[in-house]
This record gives sequence, structure tokens and C-alpha cells, in this order.
Amino acid sequence: MSSVAAKERRAAAAPAQAPASTRGPGLSRRHREWLAAALFLAPDVLGLLVFVAVPMVLSVALSFFQVSGFGSYEWIGLGNYERMMNDPLFWDSMKITGLYVVILVPVLFCVSLGLGLLVKQKLPGMGVYRTALFLPYVISLVVVGVLWKFLLDEQTGAVNRAMRAAGLDGESWLGSPSLALGCVIAVMVWVMMGYYMIIFLSGLQEIPQEYYEAAKLDGAGPWRQFRSITWPLLRPTSFFVLMMSTVAAITGGLDLIFVLTNGGPANGTSLAIFYIYQQAFGFGEYGYASAMGSFLVLIMVAVSAVIFKFTRGGRFDDGQ
Amino acid sequence: MLQHGNEAGHPAPSPAGTSRRRFLTAMAGTGAAVAAPALLTGCGTARAKGGNLQFWNFYGPQRSPDPAINAQSKWFTDMVGKWNATHKQQIDLVYLPQPTYLNGFKLPSAFATGEGPDIFMLSPGDFLRYYNGGVLEDLTPHMEKAAVEDFGSALDSRKVDGKVYALPMEVEPLAMFYSQGLWEKAGLSEADIPTTWDQMLDIGDKLGSRTTAGLVFETNPGYYQNFTWYPWMWQGGGDVLDERGGVAFDSKGTRQALTLWQDAVRHGIAPRTVPAAGDVIGGFKGGNVGMWQQGIWNVASFKAFAPDYPYGVFKLPTPPGGDYVTALGGWSFCANAQGRNPEVAAEFCVWALGSMKDDSIDRMVDWCVRAKTDVAPRASALERGAAKGGYDAEVMRRFKDEIFPGGRAEPRYPPVVYKAISDAIQGTMLAGRGVESEIERATRSIDAYTKSYKGASLI
Repeated sequence: MSSVAAKERRAAAAPAQAPASTRGPGLSRRHREWLAAALFLAPDVLGLLVFVAVPMVLSVALSFFQVSGFGSYEWIGLGNYERMMNDPLFWDSMKITGLYVVILVPVLFCVSLGLGLLVKQKLPGMGVYRTALFLPYVISLVVVGVLWKFLLDEQTGAVNRAMRAAGLDGESWLGSPSLALGCVIAVMVWVMMGYYMIIFLSGLQEIPQEYYEAAKLDGAGPWRQFRSITWPLLRPTSFFVLMMSTVAAITGGLDLIFVLTNGGPANGTSLAIFYIYQQAFGFGEYGYASAMGSFLVLIMVAVSAVIFKFTRGGRFDDGQ
Repeated sequence: MLQHGNEAGHPAPSPAGTSRRRFLTAMAGTGAAVAAPALLTGCGTARAKGGNLQFWNFYGPQRSPDPAINAQSKWFTDMVGKWNATHKQQIDLVYLPQPTYLNGFKLPSAFATGEGPDIFMLSPGDFLRYYNGGVLEDLTPHMEKAAVEDFGSALDSRKVDGKVYALPMEVEPLAMFYSQGLWEKAGLSEADIPTTWDQMLDIGDKLGSRTTAGLVFETNPGYYQNFTWYPWMWQGGGDVLDERGGVAFDSKGTRQALTLWQDAVRHGIAPRTVPAAGDVIGGFKGGNVGMWQQGIWNVASFKAFAPDYPYGVFKLPTPPGGDYVTALGGWSFCANAQGRNPEVAAEFCVWALGSMKDDSIDRMVDWCVRAKTDVAPRASALERGAAKGGYDAEVMRRFKDEIFPGGRAEPRYPPVVYKAISDAIQGTMLAGRGVESEIERATRSIDAYTKSYKGASLI
């Protein structure tokens, strides 16, 4: 009886197993699946390899050379890193970058979240508002820089005109070391807020409406609803925004700085990325710039790791 | 199961004491070190490629709403067209917008990968970097002695050991441009044109208002700001390096030049940012500028965009006991020694600007008095330009007869020296830092650099 049952089980199982083990004229099914997966992945992997991985490796390699900028390479080991450690301008630029990131990321986060909450409302013409708020993000940073350079002009800029009309003295927004970095941050928030607003909006729309209806029945006000429903359920989105904006703040903004202040006044807006660019393409110090670039990547990895650790990689509720 | 520290899974060390992994790592490292330069340079040079020579520039061919720019573009296309019609080796013009050419990564990246243009334009500030990089072809063998003499001191900053490596196409002196309308409105006349720094600051104060900058100095950090600041330092006898190449930055001349710009900003006479986002003509036309230290090239811009705007120029005022000096800028033609055909590229540069033939001299005249408004760097071209009436207009006459004669060529300091000076200017002018401390810091930086510097003379 048992042998009959076993035969029946084998017979039933046989058709299902057959395709996996059948060896046709070509590859087995398993191998064909592997091949399909590899082919699907190949464009991305190749792209990453050619445009990200190889340049990164070459950049690290370059940091060990003294490069003339005219095709001459001399191996100097850690020479560029030693120079970096003793370069006060580099450390000044790192401090400015730190300040820039510490202010920009939370401000951008709050503004984007606030806008996300606002544009989630079902009001007539909301699509127009969303588009208008997203618009700065699609404009080239060079154009943004020129635009704001005129708006913040000392004599004729719209900002100072408005201040004078209100009976206030105008300011040299881009010419004063104490104000210039703040202006760069403000412009950057203006540019980026639309993008992160959309990210937050998609996160907000994922939260089931029933939770809010239930909370209202329980007498929860808007603030209570935000604290108890929106904020906890939005944490994965918040983590994404935090990560992306931090990385963007550390490595981005070069075009804007270039047009708006050129690193001035008195190096007041010379972010690390600007200083690295200046050393590479202004002074032909490619080896040194690569060393600083590699160091900046390390810092970025470290900051990302800290964010991952504190937020548990966005998996906030695991194990709770 | 392997235990921590268990060596079972590791290969045994080789007899020489080097593990296979270590050996492979060392080989990979050596291989990478050897291969990296080749990979990083793109494994080739332009020389091996042949074909038409490329002339990278920021003038043409292009089409612009500005008639002056179109005329300059045409000058370039006509010049190359004429060469191509009479020579076997053809040349292609490659236009790069000026910001890309000056501050972009295209030109430096091209040279770094051995793909630099065969012929290109160079400013004095970049001369040493390119010379020391070995990419400047010696133009002397293609030049007649008379032609070298015709250029005179205009070649000083383009020579190394008596050999010419770049040929200037123009000389661009700096002067003070002023608005005659605002001048009259403030009750000033031509007799009030300042000759001293104090007078200049007083008049700047009179011309200024909430919406008008009385006196404008360059505020953006960069080679150009240094270039505009040097004459103020030179006028008081200051310099960055002395005649033997030693550091001379710590001097009375430097101190008073830094103080001048600092005081002008501190007292609100000069703005902290240039008006109209740097648009000179727009700034003047909008009534936002009283005086602006600018170069001769703006004469062409006024002619194109504000031909009826009443403005004047005067030479830079001097400090007490100082001598008049202005800075002379201007771009040069260079041939790439690592290009496809350096010989022909050098021949082209000399044919275009540095031959004793009428054609070559007239081409320079045409550039300096018609296509653009510049002082010609060759005595013969300056003479011919004047004879053609190119310097008859009052502003151009002043540039030729009053402003240019006291000029000194823009220095060719390398990036580290430039940056030290730039930080001193920016620190004192815009951050209000002490003049003494900034001079000390800059001197230390320049001194450290010059002690380890290897290359052609810095002066």
C-alpha cells in the first residue's frame, strides 16, 4: 500500500520536476532563467560599471599620483593625502560644507514635508500649485544662479527693493560672508523643495484614509493625527528624503555656487565640492583633487552609515 | 566547520615567505599602478591621429545678436578661411562659449588626456602652467627677428629663456570708466577727474546712493579680480615677487592697495558685489554705476549696445608719492607641442599674428580697431591702426596715448600664488580681516611655494 502510494506520489511529482531537470539541446531551464536575469541586469550593471565603478576606482588610483594636468603622472603614494591634511583651505571648505549640510538638510526636510502636507489637500487647482512648486527643480542650476544673482543684487535686486519699500535698509546678500552661505542654502531649498515635496506626497498618499477617519471619530485633532498617524507611517519616506538630501547636499550645488558666488566672498561659500573642482579644473591638480574627492566619499559613506544606524535603514518597525 | 583562526582553508605560505594572495595582491597593485596613467590619459595623444588641426577659441564661429561679437567671429572665420585656401594642412575652428573656455573643464580635460587642441588661446595667468606642462611649442624659429622686436615688451610675459611661446593678439589696459550723466548730476565737471586715491574715494562717495554704486572694484574672486587689483599695488611700489623671484608681497605698496579696497567697501563707497550681476553696460545704462574700473574691451560693448550713452574714461588715480601704472591684459595664440602637427600649428600662429608681412600686420589692425577695441601689441600695427583712424575717437585716443603707456603686463603667477593673493584681497575687502595678518598669511604661502617651485621663471 505504501509502495503504491509512493509510486503515485512520484508519478504526480514527475511532470512538475521534468522541465527543471530536462536537458534539451541547449541550456537547462534553471540556466536559462539565470541567463535571462543576467541579460535583464546587464544594461544597468554595465552602466554602473563603466560610468560609476571604473571612474571611482580610477579616481582613487589618481589620488596616489602627482598629476601635471598635461599627461604626466608621478607616483607619490600618500603625498596628496598628506597635503590634504595640512591644507587649511580644504579644512575650511569642509567646515563650510558641514554647516551647509547641517542647515540645508533639516530646512529642506521641513519645508518639503510642509509643502507635501499642503498639496495633499483636495482643493481646486491643486495640480497647478504642485506644478508651480515643482518647477524650480526642472530649471538648470546655472539659470537659477543667474536669476537669483539679479534678484539679490545689492543696488537693483527685487529683494532689496522690497526691503527699501518697507522702510528697511538693503543688504549685500551675496557680498557679505555672514549672509552669502545662507542665501545659497535658501536658493537650494527653493530649487529642491518641489522634488522632495513630490516624494513626501507619494508617501502621504500611501497612508490609508481610514486611519484618519478613525482618529477623527476618537476626537484627535490635526496635530494629534500628524503625530500618531502621519509621522510614524511616513518614516520610510522620511528616511529616503533624509538620505538623498544629505548625499545631494554633500556632493551637489557646484553649478549654483559657481554662478552665484564663485566660492566667495572670502571663501565663505567655498564648499568642499567647489574647492575640489577648483583644484582639478582651475589649477590642474587632478591627483590632489582626487584625494580630496575620495576623502569626501568616505565622509559621505560614514554619514550615510550613521543615518542608517539611527534609523535602522528605514525599517523602523522591525522587531517591535 | 572552520574555527576562528583556523588556517585550514588558507593556502600554505610559499617557501619565500610570501603567500599566494599577497603575491597576487602585489601583482595587481603593480599592474594598476602601471596601467593607471595609461587608462587615465585615454591611452593616446592627438599627435597620432592626423587630420585637420583644431583651433579652440571663444570667438567663433558663432551667431549673436551683438554685432561686435559677430564681427569678432567673422574675423576668426576669415582668418582660418584664408589659411585653408592657401595651405595644405587645414584648420578647423572650434568655438567654446567664454565661460566654458575660462572656467569649464573641457579645455583642461582635453590637455590632461592628451587630446588638447592644436592651436588655442591663452591668458597670461595660465601661461606658466601650460609652459611647465610642456604643451607650448616654441614659436621663435618661425619668427623674424624684426617681428619679435615689433612686439617689444608685449612678449615679455610670453617668453622663457628668450624664446617666444605665445603671440598676443591684443593689449587690454585697465582704466576707470565713468558716467558723464551722473557726473554732471553730482555737480562735477571734467576738471574734477580724480588723480589721487583720496579724490577718487571722495568722488565715489558723491556719486553713490542707495541704488547707485559710486565706485566699483571687482568683487568676484578669481584671476580677473587679481588682475584688476595689481595696478593699485604696483602704483605704491609694491609687488608679489622681486626681480630675483623672491617674495616681496609684504610691502607698503601691498598694504595701501589692500587698505584702499577695504576702505572703499567699509565706507560704502564701493559695493560688495558688482552691480547688475556684472553687466557693465546694463549697470551704467540703468544709472546704477558712477565709476567702474574696467578694461578697453568695453568700448566695443558700449558701441554695440549703448552707442549714445555718454561715458568717459580716465587713467587710474595714484597714491601719494606713487607712480601711475595700469595692468595690461590680453589673449595670445599658442601652438600645442603635443598636438597633431606642432610645426604647422606654430607656423599658423606666426602667419596669423607675428609675421612681418602686411597681411599679418593688417590682420592685427583689423582686430584691434574694427572687430574689437584694443591696443595693438605690435608697434607697426598700432601705428597703422592710428593712421587708419582707429584711435581717433576720444575714448580710444585716451587709451592709446594716456592709459596704455603706463602699462605693465599681467603677471603669469601660477595657481598657488594667485590663490594666496586672491584670499588676501577677498579677506580684507569683503570679510574685513586685518591687512597685516592677510599679508603675513599670503607671504607665508607664496614663500613656501616658491621654495619648492620647479619650472620657468615666475616673473
